[in-house]
Amino acid sequence: MRRFKVGDRVTVLDKPTLFHTRTQSYCRGRTGVIVALRPDDWVIPEDEAWGRVDGRRLPCYMIRFQQGDLWPDYRGPATDTVELEIFENWLEPAKEAAQ
Amino acid sequence: MSDDHDHLPDVEDTPNDFEILEIAIRELSIAKGYFSAEDHRRFMEWAESISPAAGARMVARAWVDPEYKKRVLADGTAAAQEIGIDMTAPTGQGTPSDYIYLVVHENTPKVHNVIVCTLCSCYPRWVLGMEPAWYKSFNYRRRMVRWPRQVLAEFGTIIPDDVEVRVHDSNQKTRYMVLPMRPAGTEGWTEEQLAAIVTRDTMIGVAVPRVDSLVGQRP
Amino acid sequence: MADEDPRISPVFDLVLRAGASETPKSLASNEVLLHVVHDVGGQPDVPLDLTEHKEAPWETRTHATCECLCWRGHWSSEERRRGENDMGQTLYAGIPYYGRWILVAAKHLLDTGRITPDELSAKIEEVRARYAAQATEVTP
Repeated sequence: MRRFKVGDRVTVLDKPTLFHTRTQSYCRGRTGVIVALRPDDWVIPEDEAWGRVDGRRLPCYMIRFQQGDLWPDYRGPATDTVELEIFENWLEPAKEAAQ
Repeated sequence: MSDDHDHLPDVEDTPNDFEILEIAIRELSIAKGYFSAEDHRRFMEWAESISPAAGARMVARAWVDPEYKKRVLADGTAAAQEIGIDMTAPTGQGTPSDYIYLVVHENTPKVHNVIVCTLCSCYPRWVLGMEPAWYKSFNYRRRMVRWPRQVLAEFGTIIPDDVEVRVHDSNQKTRYMVLPMRPAGTEGWTEEQLAAIVTRDTMIGVAVPRVDSLVGQRP
Repeated sequence: MADEDPRISPVFDLVLRAGASETPKSLASNEVLLHVVHDVGGQPDVPLDLTEHKEAPWETRTHATCECLCWRGHWSSEERRRGENDMGQTLYAGIPYYGRWILVAAKHLLDTGRITPDELSAKIEEVRARYAAQATEVTP
């Protein structure tokens, strides 16, 4: 049962991560929109990287961020974007009102 | 070159320490039954068989066949399989580092896509071959996601301001390929002629296909 | 090695920025501990070196060896990537891409008891001796 759907605005959590992560620091605390679903049976890196190959399988989402929301000094056009795949355990509904 | 442990791999100079270590790890692993020499040979064959020609065939086919293009954009893995690109090779379940989930992103007059893996070097090897050195460099990994137009300009690729530059950072199990726009001046071309101008760099997104010259083109 | 940019310092300024303090701050504010080594997206750098480098045979062999270990169930590619982070910033940045792969493979085999340090040492010496003998062979 997926928590989010395409079109939802979500914010990336900023959990302390030591040694390994696949949720990049540059997207932590940032808000984007879900543009695609990924399979819901991939083992999350928090398990797989530590040898738990049969670890937790969670839904994954492709999320689009505006470059201007990621980098305070972004000088390109406002329409430029970055897309990242993020697992559900790293996401919460967007804090701010949708624009 | 053979990887059978009775035959020394060809080396031109004194082998470096990493090379020695690889031979040691491989021979110990084979001796202890962790994998077989045949396993290693099959992986070597796979690594030497992959190239951007596969991706170019997908793109050329998508350019001439709108229904195939829809299938490419809906399910990249299946569309590749359809023209003989087998993502389950060489193990039967794909490669451990590349997985089996290809998503193709289409360039349009409004959106230019480009691929990076900031965390390591995830790359769609079955359709593009092994990644270039610059793709797995720290430099590209650091900068493409934050200064994409500057990095594209270093490749000679200038994207107009009214076109969105969309950077895909491959940070999980999906692997990406760009479907470039078919350039003007290719009307009536055969698929083979079209595939010849679809270079590796155009499917990463750091270049766009050009009709005017094949001489001196970057891969 | 040819596939790493020699202009990049192996110890990026992130470490310097966190301070060479002898009284570490709390974990929450200590960027060095919370910065994951491979998470480099957004760091600045100089213009790209676009020189093509054909993969050396040892690199292709390394790729195959590491993948075969995954294939036959001895580790996963994600464990390899985490292992590369475990090497720390200096080695991560300072040795070639496939050097990271094979070092991490060796470490994993040792950590999990699949090989012993003695076996690895002996095998390295044996391989070196074979190459030394080959190098001194008189070719007809």
